[in-house]
Amino acid sequence: MPSDPALPLAGIRVVDLGWITAGAASSTLLLDLGAEVVKVEGPGAPDPFRQWEGADLGTDWWNRSPFFAFTNRGKQSLCLDLKDPRGREVLLRLLEEADVLVENFRRGVMASFGLDPAMLRQRFPRLVIASISSQGETGPDRDMVSFGSTLEATAGLAALTGAGEAPVITGRDVNYPDQVVCLFAAGAVVAALLERDRTGEGAHLDLSQRELTSFLLGEELIAAAAGAPSPRRGNLDPAEPEERLLPDGAGGWRVEWPGGSAPVRDGVALAAAEEFIRGTTVLRSPDGSPAKGIPFRFARRTLAVKESCHTLGADNRAVLAASGFPAEEIDRLEAAGVLATAPRPARRG
Amino acid sequence: MGAAMPAPLAGRRVLDLGALCAQRPHALAASMAAKLCGAYGAEVVRTLPEGGEPFAALPPLLPGGGSALDRFLNAGKRPGPATGRFDAAIGDAAALSAYAAEVPIKARLSVFGPEEPDPPMTELGLAALSGLLGIVGEAPPAPPARLAGHQIAYSAGLAACTALLAALRAGGEEMVDVSLLDVTAWLNWKVAAGVMVIGSAPVRGSAKATWFTVQARDGHVALVYQDKDWPPLRDLIGDPRLLEEPFTTGPGRGANRAALLEVIGPWFAARTRAEITEAAQARRVPIGPVKYPAELLEDAQYRARAFLAPDGTPALPLGWDGRRLAREVTDAV
Repeated sequence: MPSDPALPLAGIRVVDLGWITAGAASSTLLLDLGAEVVKVEGPGAPDPFRQWEGADLGTDWWNRSPFFAFTNRGKQSLCLDLKDPRGREVLLRLLEEADVLVENFRRGVMASFGLDPAMLRQRFPRLVIASISSQGETGPDRDMVSFGSTLEATAGLAALTGAGEAPVITGRDVNYPDQVVCLFAAGAVVAALLERDRTGEGAHLDLSQRELTSFLLGEELIAAAAGAPSPRRGNLDPAEPEERLLPDGAGGWRVEWPGGSAPVRDGVALAAAEEFIRGTTVLRSPDGSPAKGIPFRFARRTLAVKESCHTLGADNRAVLAASGFPAEEIDRLEAAGVLATAPRPARRG
Repeated sequence: MGAAMPAPLAGRRVLDLGALCAQRPHALAASMAAKLCGAYGAEVVRTLPEGGEPFAALPPLLPGGGSALDRFLNAGKRPGPATGRFDAAIGDAAALSAYAAEVPIKARLSVFGPEEPDPPMTELGLAALSGLLGIVGEAPPAPPARLAGHQIAYSAGLAACTALLAALRAGGEEMVDVSLLDVTAWLNWKVAAGVMVIGSAPVRGSAKATWFTVQARDGHVALVYQDKDWPPLRDLIGDPRLLEEPFTTGPGRGANRAALLEVIGPWFAARTRAEITEAAQARRVPIGPVKYPAELLEDAQYRARAFLAPDGTPALPLGWDGRRLAREVTDAV
């Protein structure tokens, strides 16, 4: 499907090995800026976001996960077994024509597929490889296993957050570092494409979510280095001393400040709010389903959700054909299970 | 690799109107976006109002004078007038129309979007309106918890920089609009999508909220785990009561947090953060220590990656072919 030629990343091809949010939603932002994105998942290792609480095991539950569809709308879907040498060869062929590779596997997984970023960087010198990880590619804690909220703790955010006795993490309903990294990682990829426009050179981008979380507390790190204390201030913002968080008398809370006030909304109130409905946080796919929105607008170029979510492997043949694979070879890969349209084995977990 | 330091915005001039924004969330967001442009190699000019740098008196203040906020956001920017050629400008609507009418690419911060007037607003107000405040913290009746620092404004700054980079790549003229509320609600998408997609939103402190911080001997650790991590975690703690109801399921543990803490609390309280983390990580359970900023200055991982300067200033959190982007020219602040 041709991209809108007016968009900033028109003609850019992204191979998306991203999972859940940090990787997958970074690629979605590149899609929204005009890139073509092929999401690649293995039949033995589909995006864990395909597993969901309401899954009916008698159905193609992997195509019905609401949050997966919400996040991955509009991407082409290639279901390719990267653990099979033939699958690896297909991916390498795709990378010959790709501009960007996004991945957020556990460190070491890419190398176990024979897809070590250093090797890819040498073999495809124009490729921009974005490796999004908890701790980064190097260092003694490289292999530490973390979720977003673990990183809030290790990065300094939790220590300074919380209105009570204990430090507070956002938990699985937010996993703040997983969300915010997308805003930064997509920008880093665009920056690397600008650099490539200048020099012809791709890049391997090493994005540590923990470092980003600490970076976003930069003034506290500078203050600590100068010997200033780092108190947990609860809901007091020292820059806004007249601001207050108050019970609203009905079991909830509201914020008041000179010149304004706001209710502390829950999800129901948010979804019903007029300024939310007019905004771009949640958009609609062409099939009418709610879709992850776009956190910015351009006055001269329309950013929109152009396609709904594709089913797993829906674009296997088209993607391979576009890369020059003859139909018979695609047939053989399908018959061998290197290409698939369902998880293998088709069960949850 | 021995090549020249990458500088994607080399030769570009960016006008930072953060100090001229009428409201603080916009000012912080614009200043962050401009800081990022500087880290990517742009020459950033920050135009100041008559009263001087508005962040100079904002906390956190440094013992020797000055503001850590000012240093973090503005180091490397050149104070100067909004005159001359600029490739891009960042600010609120009024500052952009007053100072950047001729600049081809602009990033405009607003509360609700380009079509709506900006009411007086704070970051806590934005967190409240977006639902992000309401979802974080202990269960009611405890109050919700504001994320420390300037997460709302800085997130908008990240979004503005990303969109601005894209507009620079496209070339020509463009106005990038970043709504502070849209960005904050975008971060909090699971709450919004919960209602719209599944019909029910997560709420603060529900029985599904099984992650929280636990007191250790020398501070706290973040108890973070998935269902698959429970058996190794349970076996690590080794209390036979954990094999019984109500602790065998995630909802059971979530709904009985006080009882769970009675069982597991002493195990955590008897051990240091490092001991707990090492034991959990050996079983691939994603528990980690709650660390304070002062501890991060000595953190082995951050040291190995040269993330923090001696004065605590974090590098751009990005490795580029194994290197940090560093400005070759050190501009006076």
